[in-house]
Amino acid sequence: MIALVLAGVLAGELDAPRLWRALDAYRGRPVVVSFWATWCKPCVEEFPVLMALARERKDLAVVSVSIDEKEDRGALEAFVREKGPPFPVYAKAPGDDEAFINGVDPAWSGVVPATLIVGPDGKRLALIQGEHSREEIERAIAGGKR
Amino acid sequence: MRFYVPVLVGFISVAQAHAAPVAIGDSLAPFSLKDYQGKDVDLKSYQGSKALVLMFIATQCPVSNAYNERMAALAKDYQPKGVAIVGINSNRQESTAEIATHASQHGLTFPILKDVDNVKADQFGAQVTPEIYVYDAGWKLRYHGRIDDNQRGDNIQSQDLRNALDAVLAGKEVPVKETKAFGCTIKRVQK
Repeated sequence: MIALVLAGVLAGELDAPRLWRALDAYRGRPVVVSFWATWCKPCVEEFPVLMALARERKDLAVVSVSIDEKEDRGALEAFVREKGPPFPVYAKAPGDDEAFINGVDPAWSGVVPATLIVGPDGKRLALIQGEHSREEIERAIAGGKR
Repeated sequence: MRFYVPVLVGFISVAQAHAAPVAIGDSLAPFSLKDYQGKDVDLKSYQGSKALVLMFIATQCPVSNAYNERMAALAKDYQPKGVAIVGINSNRQESTAEIATHASQHGLTFPILKDVDNVKADQFGAQVTPEIYVYDAGWKLRYHGRIDDNQRGDNIQSQDLRNALDAVLAGKEVPVKETKAFGCTIKRVQK
């Protein structure tokens, strides 16, 4: 079931297996999965880009996963409350960071921001590590369609 | 750094790494960079050390900064044992003046080299700060990855870097040769 987006409220906690199960709900369209943290300036700068992408591209889904630690959950909740994004924002569940990184994508170095593009078939299509523009995200989605 | 060959048809990795990254067992090609005081530092001057630690670090990255005290302690504990510790700052927006101030404020007494145009970060395939490379006395890469498994430092379960150094100093196999952790991007120049 697709996560109900309650504006300004975290959608819950996820480890990597639960994230993949959650992404199954979006089969049939590409999903832009953004990994970020409140302490990461480029991530925060990118957030409005993802919000615009989600509002303007109804042919795809955006899912956001914060890797903020449990101790920073207050800052995360305040950020999400303030922004009210039109997509679910999950928090990485406490636990082994490396297992999470490798479970999301073995090619991921752990850098944030990172954006995983999941194809309509539910498989990894592209991984963008580091800062990137909306054009780069859209190119990665389109590239995967070839 | 291990290069992960895409295993799924159609998979694209758009990492900002460029040349083939270094891998465990690779030899270090000595290089020279200027430190934050403008002095040339040639890694050849560390030949003869029992190990060489290269640390890609930052002044503005909250994750790298969370490790400042641990990096200073590492230098204090391991330099007397014959380990050379060298920081590398590859971030385009962090000046040598800023690196100098940061090092002074945080007690980072080891040399910190300025990697102009992120040439070395590209050659190593370094992606995040902090990111660590440990070479043995023969300058073979023996460990690559994180400092430890807890960014906050309050519940460390695995002292990966110290474990690697202890193994190298003891002439033993490094127990865990590659690790990952969350970190900041290395802010590269457009090429």
